[in-house]
Amino acid sequence: MAWVALAAVVVVTLAIVAWPRGGKPSAAQRVQSVSSELRCPDCESQSIAQSSTETARAARADIRTRVAAGQSDAEIRQAYIDKFGPSILLKPESGGLGILVWGLPAAALVLGAGGLVLALRRWRREPHLRPTEADRELVQRARPR
Amino acid sequence: MKYRARWIALAAGLVVTVFAVVLATQVGTDPRADANKSHLLGQNAPALDLPTLDGGRVGSSDLAGKVVILNFWNSWCIPCQEEHSALADFYGRHAGDPGFAMVGIVRDDTDGAIRRYVAAERVPYPVALDPGARASLEFGTRGQPETYAISPDGVITGTRFGPSSVANLEQLLAAARGQR
Repeated sequence: MAWVALAAVVVVTLAIVAWPRGGKPSAAQRVQSVSSELRCPDCESQSIAQSSTETARAARADIRTRVAAGQSDAEIRQAYIDKFGPSILLKPESGGLGILVWGLPAAALVLGAGGLVLALRRWRREPHLRPTEADRELVQRARPR
Repeated sequence: MKYRARWIALAAGLVVTVFAVVLATQVGTDPRADANKSHLLGQNAPALDLPTLDGGRVGSSDLAGKVVILNFWNSWCIPCQEEHSALADFYGRHAGDPGFAMVGIVRDDTDGAIRRYVAAERVPYPVALDPGARASLEFGTRGQPETYAISPDGVITGTRFGPSSVANLEQLLAAARGQR
């Protein structure tokens, strides 16, 4: 029963976190979202959204223009990949080698959870030993007087 | 299922092995290696229309039909300072050729600092400003110095990231002219 309750809590939490919020994102939200996924071209680990360099500001303006022109998020990302290469993305792509980056932690989590469940069930099946009268007498005899 | 734990352990071992093999094959590769080369190589150069330091403008129409060397730089970048003499020397060799053009495009700097540097170092070639970093973005620059060679028909034929020597610049020029 406790396991069922725990599983329910996990599922509900994941649902709350992953459930899409509100309606369609606004243009500003899309600009922020795409800018956050792209690396600032002349920074090491900041996104275009975070960086204050001139190039990052130019990129934000460019993304705003592209969003206003009706380009999709995927089209904008691709335009930047075409110009700067795949390393412009802050997150690994979901294809190619990226499948391992995304898939391996998930596989490890599932296997780990499975192993934990099996171990706990095994521990539960092990017999609970209770002392018998003979055991108590043995302990009594062995105790120092 | 019999020996379930062993099957799970086997699966976990397989996942770790695959991961280790993938890591081993990726050792030595730089995930950001694509940051050291231009992805515009072989493509038409982005259009230019920039103000110059002397109050004029320089644009794609001024450069059309010529072999063009564009150098993105600024006054505070040490490698840019290191390559300055090579750029000046190279420009001096080809400035008299009507089919040659060279422009230094300032990236991420202030007007005052650039003017002081150009005056102090007597930069001989045209210097263009890039307000709003539009040209820097269009060319996919990631820093400076970055040098681009453009053929007379407007195709980027060569790039060099980092300081250039005269020999590097001559190679870029030859590539832009279609010579190897």
